[in-house]
Amino acid sequence: MAITRADFPLPDVDDSLTAGFFAAPARGELCIPRCEECGRWCWYPPETQPPHEARGPAGGRRSRPEEQQVCPACEGPLVWTRTAGRARLFSWAVVQRAFLPAFADMVPFVTALVALEEDPAVRIVTYVVDAVPGSLHGGMPLEVVFRPLRFPTVPDRQVVVPMFRPVA
Amino acid sequence: MGASPDWGRAADYDDVSGRVAIVGIGETAYTKASGRTAREIGAEAAERAIADAGLEPADVDGLTYNGAFADFDVAAFHEHFGTSHEIWSSPWGGGMSWAGTAPYLAAQAIGAGEARHVLNVFPVAWATQRASMTGGPGEVHAAQSLKQNLEVPFGWFPQPVYFATIMRRHMIEFGTTEEQFGAVAVACRRHANLNPDAVMHGKPMSMADYLASPYLADPLRLFDSCLISDGGAAYVTTSIERARDLPRPPVVVQGVAEGLSGSGTHWSQQADFTSTPQVFSAPAAFGTAGLGPADVDVLTVYDPFTVVSLMQIEDMGFCPKGEAGRFVEGDTLFHDAGKLPFNTHGGLLSHAYVLGIAHVVEVVEQLRGTAAAQVPNCEVGVYGGYTGAHASTLILSRDR
Repeated sequence: MAITRADFPLPDVDDSLTAGFFAAPARGELCIPRCEECGRWCWYPPETQPPHEARGPAGGRRSRPEEQQVCPACEGPLVWTRTAGRARLFSWAVVQRAFLPAFADMVPFVTALVALEEDPAVRIVTYVVDAVPGSLHGGMPLEVVFRPLRFPTVPDRQVVVPMFRPVA
Repeated sequence: MGASPDWGRAADYDDVSGRVAIVGIGETAYTKASGRTAREIGAEAAERAIADAGLEPADVDGLTYNGAFADFDVAAFHEHFGTSHEIWSSPWGGGMSWAGTAPYLAAQAIGAGEARHVLNVFPVAWATQRASMTGGPGEVHAAQSLKQNLEVPFGWFPQPVYFATIMRRHMIEFGTTEEQFGAVAVACRRHANLNPDAVMHGKPMSMADYLASPYLADPLRLFDSCLISDGGAAYVTTSIERARDLPRPPVVVQGVAEGLSGSGTHWSQQADFTSTPQVFSAPAAFGTAGLGPADVDVLTVYDPFTVVSLMQIEDMGFCPKGEAGRFVEGDTLFHDAGKLPFNTHGGLLSHAYVLGIAHVVEVVEQLRGTAAAQVPNCEVGVYGGYTGAHASTLILSRDR
């Protein structure tokens, strides 16, 4: 089950489940799927089937139909919707050990879970940047910034992604 | 008790209390990289468990194993033992959470007349295989597309990083301290030093040693983390009536339950970030057993990181939510003096990382009275299994 995608660990920006998340930074936006009917923010993007039913016998990658994603609560259509780009720091770790070779030059870095202002149940995995780790505290207000993500193991390629920094 | 939380549920299990017992256990050596295959290790564990039960391989007509690994399945069994008889089998056994629920599968198969003696086996050779795995034991996670796109690129990978953030959140919500996490690690190492089979036997660790160990992902230290090991174990389950005819004292299954998290293995999205699905499984298992946390003489829980032990101790009801840090201070977890003897073989932290199968074997040893770090007058023992998506609670007792 080794990962064979050549640009790993960059995100696969073409994956239909998450393409809207990675397309938004080009417009300067942080977008999250939202139900047009009930207004609910739906994160992670819901998979069309529950994972345990969709998984093949060998745990292989399932095919992903390019169909409209629907709200798990009301089955209304989900639309990638712009947020204010504000969040609160839910938790974080200062990663000291590079667990993949791609991260060897990056350590130490702060990986974090941030709770979206519009709905704190929406928890986004991100980097916290422009902050000294010792200054971080639970619940601190953050704002989105868009920065290129590059790994030395994936030459000539970058993806601009949402990261967060403390609100000045 | 408040309303049951809505982020998961207990699986729908029948009450099998008192119907089956564990009658044989077998373990291999627990080591660093051995160069052996998991299949070889599984065969050795199986052989020893069958012999311990006073049975022959041809008597084993049921086999449970982990389908995702499938290292010791029916074909491997026949190949090793040179047998060809019909064997009922299920791929939903083995280790992790399923080390705790395999006796339920056995009880169902035995009750339905499908099998008489059911072997559960789980071997692992991750110490040998580690170099070829993407992110070590994180490999299976890296293969999931949502993690590959929304987590790994942001450095939130693999398990030590997930659990560093869970640890941090436990500290934020409940004021848990580094020394309180350390108390779990120190107790496990103390037990490993009483157990010649433990990988960390002969390597004592003090609180000062714990606090001096490097951070992998602050606040999570090297000594908050499990080992990477080769090894395996197996156990044989049969009906309570049959168990009483076999040489070993029966260890009776009093309760089994499974809890499921609605967010699956997406830890980042679990609404209650500092809980485990033990909140669903433990009350169900204690309910069918007619027992409560106060009746438990020994507890082993799947402990990949110290915070997982604290969360399960809370979620199983041994102390109120958020108070496990204060609860585990001092000698609480010690086998001979503590009020909750815990991971008395050394756990995943200091015994071996064989994914919970040795935890169940340890409970059986404790109830037989043959454990290396024996708890005095041990009558009721519990295993708490965990994968993130699942938790299991297996309540065992002496035959009374």
